[in-house]
Amino acid sequence: MLKINNLHAGYGKVHVLQGISIEVPKGKVVTLIGSNGAGKTTTMRAISGMIKPLAGEITLANQRIDGMESNEIAKRGLAHSPEGRRVFATMTVTDNLLLGAFPRLTGSRPKGNVPADLERALELFPRLKERREQLAGTLSGGEQQMLAMARAVMLNPEVILLDEPSMGLAPILVEEVFKIISRLKSEGVTMLLVEQFAAAALNVADYGYVLENGSITVHGPAKDLLHDPAVAAAYLGGSH
Amino acid sequence: MEILLQLVYSGIALGMIYAVIAFGYQLTFATSDTLNFGQGEALMLGALVGLTLVDTMGVNYWVAVPIVCLFGFIQGAFVERVGVRPAIKIKSEFGWIMSTIALGIIFKNVAENIWGRDDLRFPSPLDESPLKVLGANVLPMELLVIAGAILMMLAVEFFNRKTIYGKAVVATFNDRDAAKLMGINTGLVITFSYALSSLTAAFAGILIAPLTLTGATMGSVLGLKAFAVAIIGGLTSGLGIVVGGILLGIAETTTGFYISTGYKDVPGLVLLLLVLAVRPAGLFGKTAIKKV
Amino acid sequence: MLCFALAVAVPVITPNPYYIHLVETIMIYSILLFGLDIVVGYTGQVSLGHAGLFGIGAYTTGVLLTKLGLSFWLAVPFSVLVTAVFGAILAMPALKVSGPYLAMVTLAFGTIIQILINEMTFVTEGPMGIKLNKPEIFNIKLNEEQFYWLVCVFLALSLIVVHRILKSHLGRAFEALRGSPVASDCMGVSVYRYKVYAFVISAGLAGLAGSLYAYSEQYISPNTYNFELTVLFLLAIIMGGRKTRSGAIIGATIIVLLPKLLDDIELFQWISTLLAVGICLSAVIAVVKKWTSVQSTLTPVIGTVCLSLFSFQLESITDWRLSIFGLMILFVVYYLQDGIVGFVVKLKSFTKPAEENNAQVLHTTSTSEWSTARSLHSSGSDSGELILEASSILMQFGGLKAINQVDLRVQQGHIHGLIGPNGSGKSTMMNVLTGIYTPTQGQIKFKNSSIIGQTSSSIALSGIARTFQNVQLFGEMTVLQNVLVGLHHSFKSSFLDVCFNTKRYQLEDHVANEQAHSLLNFVGLGALHNELARNLPYGKQRLLEIARALALDPALLLLDEPAAGLTAPDIVELTQIIQKIRDHGVTLILIEHHMDLVMSICDTVSVLDFGQKIAEGKPLQVQADPKVVEAYLGGSSPAIA
Repeated sequence: MLKINNLHAGYGKVHVLQGISIEVPKGKVVTLIGSNGAGKTTTMRAISGMIKPLAGEITLANQRIDGMESNEIAKRGLAHSPEGRRVFATMTVTDNLLLGAFPRLTGSRPKGNVPADLERALELFPRLKERREQLAGTLSGGEQQMLAMARAVMLNPEVILLDEPSMGLAPILVEEVFKIISRLKSEGVTMLLVEQFAAAALNVADYGYVLENGSITVHGPAKDLLHDPAVAAAYLGGSH
Repeated sequence: MEILLQLVYSGIALGMIYAVIAFGYQLTFATSDTLNFGQGEALMLGALVGLTLVDTMGVNYWVAVPIVCLFGFIQGAFVERVGVRPAIKIKSEFGWIMSTIALGIIFKNVAENIWGRDDLRFPSPLDESPLKVLGANVLPMELLVIAGAILMMLAVEFFNRKTIYGKAVVATFNDRDAAKLMGINTGLVITFSYALSSLTAAFAGILIAPLTLTGATMGSVLGLKAFAVAIIGGLTSGLGIVVGGILLGIAETTTGFYISTGYKDVPGLVLLLLVLAVRPAGLFGKTAIKKV
Repeated sequence: MLCFALAVAVPVITPNPYYIHLVETIMIYSILLFGLDIVVGYTGQVSLGHAGLFGIGAYTTGVLLTKLGLSFWLAVPFSVLVTAVFGAILAMPALKVSGPYLAMVTLAFGTIIQILINEMTFVTEGPMGIKLNKPEIFNIKLNEEQFYWLVCVFLALSLIVVHRILKSHLGRAFEALRGSPVASDCMGVSVYRYKVYAFVISAGLAGLAGSLYAYSEQYISPNTYNFELTVLFLLAIIMGGRKTRSGAIIGATIIVLLPKLLDDIELFQWISTLLAVGICLSAVIAVVKKWTSVQSTLTPVIGTVCLSLFSFQLESITDWRLSIFGLMILFVVYYLQDGIVGFVVKLKSFTKPAEENNAQVLHTTSTSEWSTARSLHSSGSDSGELILEASSILMQFGGLKAINQVDLRVQQGHIHGLIGPNGSGKSTMMNVLTGIYTPTQGQIKFKNSSIIGQTSSSIALSGIARTFQNVQLFGEMTVLQNVLVGLHHSFKSSFLDVCFNTKRYQLEDHVANEQAHSLLNFVGLGALHNELARNLPYGKQRLLEIARALALDPALLLLDEPAAGLTAPDIVELTQIIQKIRDHGVTLILIEHHMDLVMSICDTVSVLDFGQKIAEGKPLQVQADPKVVEAYLGGSSPAIA
C-alpha cells in the first residue's frame, strides 16, 4: 500500500534521513521506532508532504506521491495525525472531525456517510464524545491527541500515519490510545505508527523498523523485535 | 441634545463603514498574516463602478450591488495573485506591503483617468428626506448603510461557522500546515480571503457612495481610518471592529462639529496610538503566544 | 562609496542655479534616505510616514524662523530634535507588537500631519505656506552657491555619522534583530528598544533634511509632504539598494529626476522603448545562459513592451505618473530586490569568480583563549550554593499543561542535565527560564532574586545565556559579528560617543574585538571569523552559538540539545568544551537526548515526563530508575535487564 524507497530528507543544512526504505502492506500495522533525533518525525513529514524529500521515492497505492503538496496527498487517501497534536484550537471537536473529512465533503474523495462516520469516531473515542461541542484548544493534552487521531480516521483513508500518538500522555491514556489502535487494526485499517514507546508499539504492530541516526538498523516482525537487545541499546545508550 | 443624537447616528453609520473595511483587513490577516494596503481603493472602485452602472447604464441600484460585489471579488483575487502571492513566496513582509500599496496607487491613478479627478454625485436609491428616530434626524441611506454592514459581516460569520468551506478558512487561520494535511488547498484559501475582502470593500463603497462624494480620492482616507479601527478593535476580533468603528465614527463626527471639521481626523490617530501603547492587541484582541 | 559623495559635491562647475538646486535637492533627499535605510534596510520595518517627518522638520524650521526669528544654528538642531521626538511618539507604541503596525501607524501619521499643517493656520499659515530666506551665517547672507556648499558639508557629516553608527555595535544590533529577533533578545539586545532607536535616528535625519529643504526651497507648503513623496522615498531605497550609502544616493537621484522625466512625453517614449529593448535583450541572454527560465522573463518582457506601446498613445504622461511609480515599485519588489547596487554587485560576482573571504584572514587572530575574569561570579565550584531555584512552575497553554508543578534546583558550578521524552516539557522549561514565556504560576530565583516577568533581554543581561534547539544565528553576519552581538552589553559608550568616534568608543571596540577573537579560539572557530554564519557547516554553527552565548559572560549557560545532528568526533569536541566552560566557573543546564553525553559529564540529572519531574539524581542512579526506563521505553518492556 505504502512504499518508501531510499528516502533522503532533512531541514536546511541538516541531512537527517540517509536513505531509508519501508513497506506498509495493506491492512497491516507497521511501526517505526527509535530514540529522539533519529528521524522518525522527519520521515512522517516527508511522506505526508510537509517537507519535500531530497531523494528517493514514495508510493501510495502504486502512485508516486513524493514531492507533492500535502493537500494533494491527503486527497489521495493519506491521513496524517501529526506530532504535537495540531488541532484547530478555536473550533469545536465536531468541527475538527468534520474537517478531517474535508476531501469527502468537497468531492475529492468518495463521500460515504459522513455523519455516521462522525458518530462512529465518537464511539471509538468516548472522551471526545462527552466534549463534542467543546473548543479544541481547551481540551487537555491527552484529549487533543485523541482528537488528532480521530480526525485522521474521518478521512476514511487508505493509510493512516500516526506520529507519536502517546507523546505527552499519562500512562493510563497511553493504554487507552493503544487499545484504540488495536481496534482500528482489527477493522483492517492500514497504519504506519511512529513511536518512542517501543514496547507498546511493538506489542500492537505486525512489523517494525528501528531508526537510528537517520538509518534503519534493525527490522523484522514485531514479536521478534520485542526481545531484541539491540532495540534497547538504540534507546538508552550503550551503557547497560 | 438633538444635535448630539444626530451626530451619534451619523457617527454610527460612518463607523460601520470603517468596520466593514476593517473586517476586510481581518479576513486576510487571519489567514495569511498580510493585508491589503490598497483596500481603500477597492472601496473606491466599487463605488465608481457602481456609479457607472447606475448613472451611465441605468441599471437599478439593487441590481448593481451584487454586480459590484462580483467585481470586487475578482479585483481582490487579482491583487492576491499579482501582489501578495509572490511576496509570501519570498517571505518578505516588505514585499506585500509595497506591492499592495503599488497596486492601490495604480488603481487610483487609473480611476482618475477614467472617471476624472472631480467628485461626482451618486444618485440615492432611497428617499432623501430624513426620518426622525428618538427625536433626531437620520437619513434612510444611513440606516441602509448600518443594516448593510451588519448583514455583510453576519453573512461572512455564517459562512465561516456553518459551511465546510468557511470552516476550512478558519482552519487555515488556526494552523496552516495542519489544514493542508486535511486536504485543504491553503493557497486557494488565501486567494479567497483576498477576494472576499475586496468584495466587502466594494460593497461598502456602493453603500456609502450616495452619502458622500464619490471620486477617485475617496478610498485612501477611508482605508486609513479602517486601519485605526482594526488596530483599536484588534486584528483578530470581529466584535472589536464593530465597537471600534462606532467609537471612532462618533468621535469623528463630534470632533468635526464641536471643534472643527479640519480636526475630525485627529481622534483616529490619537486613539490608535493610545491603544497600541496600552493594549497592543486591541481592545478585544488576544495576544498570540509565539513558539520557539 | 565615499568617492561617490565627493564626486557629487564637485559639479558646482555649472553655475546654472537650476542644476545647483537640483543636485542640492538630491543631496538633501540623500540625508533623509540614509535614515530611512536604517529603518527599512537594516531593521526591516516599513515606514509610510517619512514625508510627514520631513514636513515636520521643514515646518519647525519655518515656524521658528518666521515666528521667533531664530538663527540657523538654533533652528536646525531644534528641528532635528522635534522631529526625533515625533519619531519616538510614533515608534514607541507601534513597535510593541510585531506585524505591519508601524506601516499602518506611520501611514495614518503622514496623512494626519498634512491635514494638521493645513488646519493649524495660526502656526503654519496653512495652505498659504511660509516664505523663508537663505540662512545667515556669521552675518553673511548665503547665496545659492554658498548654501550649496553648506548642504554638501551636512551631507558629508551625515554620511560619516550614519556610517559610524552602522559599523558600531548599534548597527550590529539593528542587523541582529532582523536576523533572529528571539536570539537577539536572548543576547541582551532588546528588539523593541533598538527598533525604536532606529526609527528615532531616522526621524532625526529626516528632520535635518526637512530643515535644509526649507532653506533650499525658500518656500514650504503642506502639499509637498504627501503620500506620494513617502512612496518616492521608499522607491528610492529599494531601487537604489538597501544597506548601502551609495544606494541611497542613487535612489535620491532617480526620484528627483524621475518627475522631470515624466513631464516630457517624448523623452518618456524614448526611454520606455529603450527599456523594453534592454529588457528583451537581457531576458534573451538570461535564458540562453540558463540563469532563469523562459516563464519568469515573460512578465517583464510583456510589461515593458506594452508600456512602450502605450506611451505612444498618449498626449501627456503626467496624468499617469502615479501608475508609473506603482509599476516601478512592483518591478523592483519582485525583480530587483537588492536594488541597483545589489544588481551591480551580483553582476560583478558573476563575471569575476568569487574572491574568497579567506583572503582576509587578516590582522589580529589573537591566539589568546577565552578566560573570564570571574570576579563577579563567585569562583569555587564547590559551595553547593543554589544558583537557580525554580519552584512549582506551572506553564499552561489553553487546556494544555506543558509544565506541571516542576521544581528545579541547580547548584553553582554543576553541569545539570535535563532529559525526558519528546513533549515532556524540556524546551518549554528553557523558554520559561529565559523569559520567552511567563509561567502561569511559580517562582524562579536566579542568584537569589526573582526573574519572573522580566524580559528576555534583561534576563540575559543579568547572567543567563542560552543556545537554541533550532540554531538561531544571525545568518547574514560574519562569525565574528555574531559573537560581537553577544558582547553588546560590554559597550557602555553612548550614541554620541559612536558619532564622534571618541577614544572611549574606540577602546571599547578594540577590547570587544579581542574578546570576540579569544572566544572564537576557545571553541575552535578562530580561523573562520570572517565567514558568513549561514555558510558554516552545521556542527560549527552550533559551536558558534555557544561562543556567542559565552560572550554574555554568563553565570548560567543553558544548552538546548547542543549535540543534535553532530557526528561522533564533533560530540567529543563538544564534551571537552562543555567541561572547560564548567572549569571556568560557569554553571550549565544541558538538555540532551544523547544519553552517552549526558551520563558522562552531568553532575545531576533531572528527568521530565508529561510535564512533570519524575526522577532526579546522579546520572547512574537516574539511568537505573525504573520510572525513567518506563518513561522512555514504555511499560511492560522486558528488554531492559
